[in-house]
Amino acid sequence: MNTDLLVDRVRAAVATVDDPEYPGISIVDLGLLESLDTTHDGHVAVGLIPTFSGCPALSMIADDVRRAVDAVDGVEGVDVRWLGAPVWGVDRVTETARATMAREFTVAVRIGRGPVACPRCGSPTHEQSMFGPSRCRAVHTCPACAEVVEVMRA
Amino acid sequence: MTGLGSSVREFLLAFADDEHLMGQQHTEWIGVAPFLEEDLAFSSIAQDELGHAAALYAIVAGDGDPVDNDLRIDELAFRPSPDDWRCAQLVEVASDDWAHALVRHWLYDSAEQLRWEQVAQSSLIPLAEAAARAEREERYHRRHADGLLDVLLPAADSAERLQAALADLLPLAIGIFDPVAGEAEVVATGVASAPFDTRLDEWKDRVRHRFDFDPDRIEPMAPTGRLVRHPDFGPLLVRMREVIDLDPAAVW
Repeated sequence: MNTDLLVDRVRAAVATVDDPEYPGISIVDLGLLESLDTTHDGHVAVGLIPTFSGCPALSMIADDVRRAVDAVDGVEGVDVRWLGAPVWGVDRVTETARATMAREFTVAVRIGRGPVACPRCGSPTHEQSMFGPSRCRAVHTCPACAEVVEVMRA
Repeated sequence: MTGLGSSVREFLLAFADDEHLMGQQHTEWIGVAPFLEEDLAFSSIAQDELGHAAALYAIVAGDGDPVDNDLRIDELAFRPSPDDWRCAQLVEVASDDWAHALVRHWLYDSAEQLRWEQVAQSSLIPLAEAAARAEREERYHRRHADGLLDVLLPAADSAERLQAALADLLPLAIGIFDPVAGEAEVVATGVASAPFDTRLDEWKDRVRHRFDFDPDRIEPMAPTGRLVRHPDFGPLLVRMREVIDLDPAAVW
């Protein structure tokens, strides 16, 4: 098979895998997919990067990716690896994922160095605690909404 | 990684064991910290330290992938007999007082920052990569400990408890800089940039500045090459192995 076509199919398959923390948001949109290589005889190597060192979902995500890629027509073998570099950052999260996170989870993603915008009203939020309900979320408050806002962090 | 020399292996295990036990000790505050935000903070910080430990054990066990080396990491993390651990006594000592836990968190993380710096340019690529990721996470840990100390040290009653904890922990904390045998080879091969104790004075300055206390007033424990376990280590190891001992052959 044409390897370009296979790469496209495999990429689409990887994109069907959601982050267990955010059902409905693809790991590709969260910036976890770093590399994708295929050979002419259908062997695929997928390189992923974790959002943080101690993420307990790594083996679950790797299994999901392996299963999704294995099901692609033309794939003869798949190797999924967690890479040591680069270091993941919130700048890898796509616009699509940011919008879904704000809408479905009321979770904001910091853009640049300024204050974090409230996912409901867009006003600047105040940091309350660096450590939220899960390792990858800080807790902020929005004075305009008088509500708690969770903020994805590295 | 195949072909790691025994010195490099010892060096990595010492670092991994420290990270592992520090993470384990932090987990013991989950649910019993003085307020909810601290339960969450200690749980997140513990998760990071355990992640760093897994990354370091994975370099010893194989090629650095934490998932592929899952079972070998467990083997290194839970199976060694007490004599084969290489941790510092600072992370072995029990802490049943939150002021004590907070001071240890600060002492450990301020030294940990310097330790990752020593391997940031390591000739062992997975180690240099782990250092880059860890440093990004450690910034939050240091901000957390410093933020609390900024508030608590100026208050007389909490300052008294924190200073007592500092006096108790300093001799053990200096032991973090105690090298394993073979550190010279680790430096000669470029795995670390210099012996870790070359950073001790810098670290003491940080302690002086933070606590307004001269660490040289404290007699450090005699160096043991990380071969002597603290009396609190035994019970800690039993608690850590509680689950894995239920069914050693279980596959998770």
